[in-house]
Amino acid sequence: MRPAAFVPELLRHIFKKPATVEYPYKKLGVPKDFRGTPFLHPELCIACRACERDCAAEAIEITAVNEAEKRFQMIIHNDRCIHCAQCVDSCPVTPVKAMDIDMRYENADFNRHVLKKSWVFVRAVLKPKVADAGPKPPTS
Amino acid sequence: MKIQIPIGPQHPALKEPISLRMTVDGEVIQNADLRLGYNHRGLERLAEEKTWVQNIYLMERICGICSHSHATCYVQGVEMLMDLIPPKRGLYIRTLVSELERVHSHLLWLGIAGHEAGFDSFFMYTWRDREIVMDLLEIISGNRVHYSINSIGGVRRDIDESQKKKILDSLDTLRERSLFYLKIGASEPTFVARLAGVGYLSKESAVALCAVGPTARASSITRDVRKDDPYAVYDEVPFDVGTADTCDVLGRTVVRVKELLESYKIIEFLMKNLPSGNITVKAPRKAKPNEVISRYEAPRGENIHYIISNGTDKPERLKVRAPTLGNYAATIEMLKSGFIADIPLIFAAIDPCICCAERSVELVDARSGDAKTVRMSELRNKANERFKKDPPKRNGIWPF
Repeated sequence: MRPAAFVPELLRHIFKKPATVEYPYKKLGVPKDFRGTPFLHPELCIACRACERDCAAEAIEITAVNEAEKRFQMIIHNDRCIHCAQCVDSCPVTPVKAMDIDMRYENADFNRHVLKKSWVFVRAVLKPKVADAGPKPPTS
Repeated sequence: MKIQIPIGPQHPALKEPISLRMTVDGEVIQNADLRLGYNHRGLERLAEEKTWVQNIYLMERICGICSHSHATCYVQGVEMLMDLIPPKRGLYIRTLVSELERVHSHLLWLGIAGHEAGFDSFFMYTWRDREIVMDLLEIISGNRVHYSINSIGGVRRDIDESQKKKILDSLDTLRERSLFYLKIGASEPTFVARLAGVGYLSKESAVALCAVGPTARASSITRDVRKDDPYAVYDEVPFDVGTADTCDVLGRTVVRVKELLESYKIIEFLMKNLPSGNITVKAPRKAKPNEVISRYEAPRGENIHYIISNGTDKPERLKVRAPTLGNYAATIEMLKSGFIADIPLIFAAIDPCICCAERSVELVDARSGDAKTVRMSELRNKANERFKKDPPKRNGIWPF
């Protein structure tokens, strides 16, 4: 037991750079698997509604705009989204998934309705399976 | 003369709303009473309306710090219901994340203990080192707080060689820092004097009051679900259960630092023996009617989920017993015959997570003592009626 056992550590840190980053001016990068904002590749979507069914925050909405033309609309409510990326996991389209997630994280806005993103698209048709359709992404 | 002092629901010493009522005689606490229900969110009811998959993310949001604990506990239960056996690699990654979570939770707690004891530089340094673990978790799972690594039947993300290397490299720094904190905790006389002898909980009362986690282990009870009822891969991993026999807040600090060092050992073992293979198996959408209890050693103690399924894709009932709830009875015992100035320290020493533990609201009539469980709507109507009838500020006598 000796008093002021922490002092050498404190003195050492006087000459060190700060551990924090001044956020709005400097930014830390995010890792490559970061779960940011979800988005849709409208040309690949088969409108199976798997993402809508599994979304934990009920943030995905798929509606039929025109049944005859197979035209659908997807709305992602980013104000409700919890960024879990379950929609990406649930998407059955292979080899490239129709739902994807990017690395954007600065989504704040004064109006929650601005955060809504929508896509109107014609339902994609699944191509017949070819034996060498390229490497499959891991089924995680 | 005895006086009753209310602390909370809103108080600078408390991070979350809870009401403590202390009957004091001078400086010394004679009796303590805990009132819960200020942070009730209706999660159990909500879980009954969501599917098995959606509930993983809901369960994760019970708590911010032990998010993986609740999600894993739930997922283990659902796997038992669906008769799924997750692949070894999936279980290894799940255990890795749970140990990293334990490290970040204990480092956070060490900082809180320093802060409550008036040692704020300790708080800043531990929290800076906690960032290393947070970054590791972000690299593995894609998020700092809600890792969402679990899926029913395994995990969602694999780890590669570069991530493995990064984890092993960071472990060296973390181990070195933790040993330094253990040294400081044992050799800084002001810190030791503040913690020693505060919040005494004897072994007998810890057993009688069903204390869990580090609170029980600091009273020299070797109680750890990882050893007693091994889940995931804990039956293959060599580790010891850290205990202390001082029965006070200092003992709880020592137990947590010991657990940190054990966690580094476990992580190292997991990383060096990571098997190859799949990380998940496909889960069915529905579960057969059954009931199951899932146990998990969260950083704060034993976490229990009780799940009933009814053959559909939604649970019939989901009951969560968070570790903090198990420690409330012991907290009252610890507070008795302590000083008012020790309240924040004793209360912080169980690592309370109040929003985890808030499950249902029970109304107790202060005059007659009748207890009754009520719905949220009924509670709201009662409050409206009460405020219409008589605004409390004019002639209010506390408790209202």
